Amino acid sequence: MDRPPTSTGLLPKRQPRDGRALPALAAALLLVALSAFSQGNPLPAEKAFRFSARLLDAHTVEARFFIADGYYLYRDKVHFAIEPASAGLSVPPLPGGKVKEDQFFGRVETYRGDVVVNLTLNDAKPGQHVVIEAQSQGCADIGLCYPPTVQRVNLALPEASMVPQTSGDGGKKPWFN
Amino acid sequence: MRRRVRNALLLGGVGALALAAGVWFAAWDRGRPSTDALFALELPDTAGVKQPLRQWRGKILVVNFWATWCEPCREEMPEFARTQSELGPRGVQFVGIAVDQADKVSRFAKEINLNYPALVGGYEAMELSRRVGNELVALPFTIVIDRNGRIADTHLGPMKPQQLRSILDKML
Repeated sequence: MDRPPTSTGLLPKRQPRDGRALPALAAALLLVALSAFSQGNPLPAEKAFRFSARLLDAHTVEARFFIADGYYLYRDKVHFAIEPASAGLSVPPLPGGKVKEDQFFGRVETYRGDVVVNLTLNDAKPGQHVVIEAQSQGCADIGLCYPPTVQRVNLALPEASMVPQTSGDGGKKPWFN
Repeated sequence: MRRRVRNALLLGGVGALALAAGVWFAAWDRGRPSTDALFALELPDTAGVKQPLRQWRGKILVVNFWATWCEPCREEMPEFARTQSELGPRGVQFVGIAVDQADKVSRFAKEINLNYPALVGGYEAMELSRRVGNELVALPFTIVIDRNGRIADTHLGPMKPQQLRSILDKML
């Protein structure tokens, strides 16, 4: 690109850009921000009680809470729902938790660490998209409690199986046998 | 230094300063939320009677968001009641806003002989606490408001008795 000549009549040398200052500043700011967040600040509910779900097969959903260290959930406040409701969700009895005597509510059970619950889909159709909704309520050992929190996971059921079904007139073997 | 480079640096410097000033102001502004929304609240007490919060304007107001399902909240309240007894005559007023069911709030208030109002709030009460600094929307959350209606302190989590006392002592 043309540059106007300097007063000496010579074209000026390109000034090397010092690009090192800006990334260093950005890195410093990032470190400051990160350290502020990691100074033992309590987690938001969705991180303290992270919920995830996956299909084990066409009829089973493995629902899991990953409860962070220093946090706990109340067993009787864990609830599951599915959208659409017509997919027919069955929830088994929840695993037992640690028993605690609460001065106001009496005997309560709490969960720490990972909690796994296998949910059954009774009427989900192949290829159907469903949303698993998990509600939970818990507290932090440092002395905080969170209101009921709802987390949702989208799941897609597998398409109809390639294995031919036995026909309705009964008795005929599937032809791959 | 070439004029173009110098001008670019100056412009960048002014821009950075403006940005920094903007960020600082936003933080300062956020750090001093308005109490208008709080004083506009009217919440029922455990007898179902609507209590407007503006009736306590001019007091040194300690608004404590709590719930019976929050054990740490319940544990700090007897101490709040003691402080209410001692400093009430000097203009301190505690108000509890329970994000809870009225019957449970009433039962607990009776159990500990609560000597300050226990109001019952719902979702909008939690949302209000978020707007005045409770980003995690967790409990307990305590706001101290001075006699001029300005927020003097907010605190997430249980308050050590001495902590609250020293804040209040400065305002008496």
